[in-house]
Amino acid sequence: MEDESREQLVLGRRGLALGAATLSMVGATPALAGGTGKFVTANNNSYDTLDPHVVFDIGRIASRLNLYDALVRWTDDPAKLNMWLAEKVDISPDALTYTFTLRDAKFHDGTPVTAEDVVYSMERILALKKGAYGLFSSVVKPGTTKAIDAKTVQFKLSAPYAVFMAVLPEMWVVNAKMVRAHEKNGDWGGAWLARNEAGSGSFRLAHYDPAVGFSANRFPGHFMGWGPEYLDTVEFRGILEVASRVLGLEKGEFDALDGFTPYDQIKRMRGKPNVQILAKPSLRTMYFIIHNRRAPLDDVNMRRALCYAFDYHGFINNLLDGSVVRNAGIIPDTMWGAPKNLAGYTYDLDKARAALAKVKGPIRTLTINALAGYPQSGQAAELLQSGLAKIGVKTTILSQPWPVVAAKLGNEQLSADLIPLWRSAYFADPHNWTGYIYNSKQIGKGNLSFFSNKRFDELTDKALVLVKQADRQPLYEEASRILVDQAAGLFIYNTNYYGAFDKKVRGVRYCPIGDAQDMRWQWLA
Amino acid sequence: MRLLGLIARRLVWVPATLIGLVVLVFVISHLMPSDPARILAGENATTAQVAALRHKMGLDQPLPMQLLHYLIDVARGNMGVSLYTQTPVASEIWRRLPATMELAFYAMLLAVLLGVPLGVVAALRRNSWFDHVLRVVTVSGLAIAAFWFAILLQLLFSMWLNLTPVQGRISDFGPSGVTGFYTIDAAISGDWSTEIDVLRHLALPVITLAFPAMATIVRFTRAGVIGTLGSFFVDYQRAMGVPWRVTVWRYVLRSALTGTLTQIGLVFGNLLAGAVVVEAVFDWPGLGQFAVNSILQSDYNAILGFTIYVGVMFIVVNLLIDVGQVLLDPRGR
Repeated sequence: MEDESREQLVLGRRGLALGAATLSMVGATPALAGGTGKFVTANNNSYDTLDPHVVFDIGRIASRLNLYDALVRWTDDPAKLNMWLAEKVDISPDALTYTFTLRDAKFHDGTPVTAEDVVYSMERILALKKGAYGLFSSVVKPGTTKAIDAKTVQFKLSAPYAVFMAVLPEMWVVNAKMVRAHEKNGDWGGAWLARNEAGSGSFRLAHYDPAVGFSANRFPGHFMGWGPEYLDTVEFRGILEVASRVLGLEKGEFDALDGFTPYDQIKRMRGKPNVQILAKPSLRTMYFIIHNRRAPLDDVNMRRALCYAFDYHGFINNLLDGSVVRNAGIIPDTMWGAPKNLAGYTYDLDKARAALAKVKGPIRTLTINALAGYPQSGQAAELLQSGLAKIGVKTTILSQPWPVVAAKLGNEQLSADLIPLWRSAYFADPHNWTGYIYNSKQIGKGNLSFFSNKRFDELTDKALVLVKQADRQPLYEEASRILVDQAAGLFIYNTNYYGAFDKKVRGVRYCPIGDAQDMRWQWLA
Repeated sequence: MRLLGLIARRLVWVPATLIGLVVLVFVISHLMPSDPARILAGENATTAQVAALRHKMGLDQPLPMQLLHYLIDVARGNMGVSLYTQTPVASEIWRRLPATMELAFYAMLLAVLLGVPLGVVAALRRNSWFDHVLRVVTVSGLAIAAFWFAILLQLLFSMWLNLTPVQGRISDFGPSGVTGFYTIDAAISGDWSTEIDVLRHLALPVITLAFPAMATIVRFTRAGVIGTLGSFFVDYQRAMGVPWRVTVWRYVLRSALTGTLTQIGLVFGNLLAGAVVVEAVFDWPGLGQFAVNSILQSDYNAILGFTIYVGVMFIVVNLLIDVGQVLLDPRGR
């Protein structure tokens, strides 16, 4: 937190009164009059689709968070999992059966949210195989989700899955009847839902233009009720140019910016009279994906040489002006499961040369695939290139747009040797940073590093079966240490969140999963 | 009749030009190191699913067969489906077209209305202080980078004088209407507050685009008028007592505009292809941004569709310029 007084201003009195326990009901209050107008957010990327089941990212999360609901929802910082569309859950002793009881909620067309809608939503995710599909596919098989009655829905998992509750917020519930009415050629209503909405969320879609963004009006009938102050309309605009977003905020055309504003602009805006900055530790770690199966990177000494050849201090403190914090492992240090006092790598060319001397096979020129349009990715690539050149390792940097890089990820032949990128928080559980992206069962899916380690697999498999956090935590701590010891990736830093808001904004409840874009809490003074 | 013959001859070449364009772009786009089937299937799809989708999309066929199918589809007005938005590319282009056309139209209108008279006056007052000042202005117009000029305008008119919005096409979402041109739709519905809002949003991007266009028009008009003033028919008309104002504005200008008209066509064609930088700075939801996004996302179908649109626009503008040349210069008939 960079500025206590400013943060309190942003959070407002409701934000400071928070204290809900995990899996508790969040802030339901009786509806009172108090609309405070329209709130415009300038986002760094466009909203090319509104279908909640085909995208799974932070950049477009606003449409999902505000137009749709799920059985449970992440809120606040530290992230807490709250009952949402569901009012309670019964988990069988073997942790294979999850039975949810729904509360009285209505879709925007006035029809009730039923168990059948939940079943349809899960089946739709499994059929489309997009978005958050990978979170569920390993344990939820098509046809196994049942509507016991109108208010009771039951998931039968094929194996224990400790993070099932943690990933459920990405199972957005759509109005089955409405979507079915627009299905064409077995598309599960995809063409229609990309341009329309069928949700029960806090806001109801008013306008949508993929080239501009979307606006939505408050849904008075939302099951959570509303506080004394609220927004009448929220508008999210895709503004690609950072200067336009910043100038628009300073001029008062926007009320907030997304959480990806470059730090130099954040520093500049700190002195502006009508801007307030909310700074929070985030849960997004930057690292290099290392292709662990391709020689010479299949040799742990080669990978260690890479890790010793990167100037962490120079990158964080000089290039990024200290706006982020060193994170020696892949799990953010602010997350449980991150080992304490983890001895990560330092920039030490002598150790790099010593590790390099132990490499058995020939050392060829390595390819670093940087992300075009993400300056930090390119800077990290050049810094590593510089460090490796000093120990005699040649590299070439290939800068390509994210979709081009993404298309090659998971393909053992096509994927580059090294890729500097980020691992965001898609659910607040260490599995997001460990088992999901390094367990050998996830190779080609979540595991894009082709890393394989028997002990690591045992630990992360076992952690998924256990229920209690206290039992799981030491497993993830050991797993994280293995990743560092084996140099499975080159881990650099944990991001800070910098949210820029107009001074009149109140009630922001930042959550690392969603970047403060859940608009039901906010209002304008 | 000769004019119709000219149009007919130009139209005959349109299909061949378009086919050549499509073939060229199709081949180049398929050299890109990306897999449309993988993108469309999503990151979680299995290899078998991607292969099935590749087969369904015809991507497993030889390139000449893919090209043939694409040409047939384009001939039917089908440019395929955007890999990202899953909507027809033609409708994506159609939806953004009014934003780009409206911007291009007003920018050209402003450039012509200012550029032609200034060019004539500069020619008549050759080497005067006015001519020198205008030369500095026009050289600046051609030399200044559009994004820099746009940001200067934003700082001056939006941030300091608070006269215009920083970005966007309208404060809210557009007025409902049939044309998609917000200025026209707002006027038709009598919504004058929206009309003013739209004009305020138009002001800065139009000025940004009109400035270099005007500079080009001024320079070509000036050169054309200076060249024409030395013609015998000008001396003849002066000798016959034709008023100088009439000689200049009716006869000299008409003859001098042939070169300017060609430049107007080129500039207008470029604007219709999407002013990428200006649309980005002002967040104008037009075709320029669509093109950039399509390239960044490796959206083959969208890139192909956009390129064909640009080709068609240039063909249409060139045809109009040819017709305009003939109307201006009787020798062309």
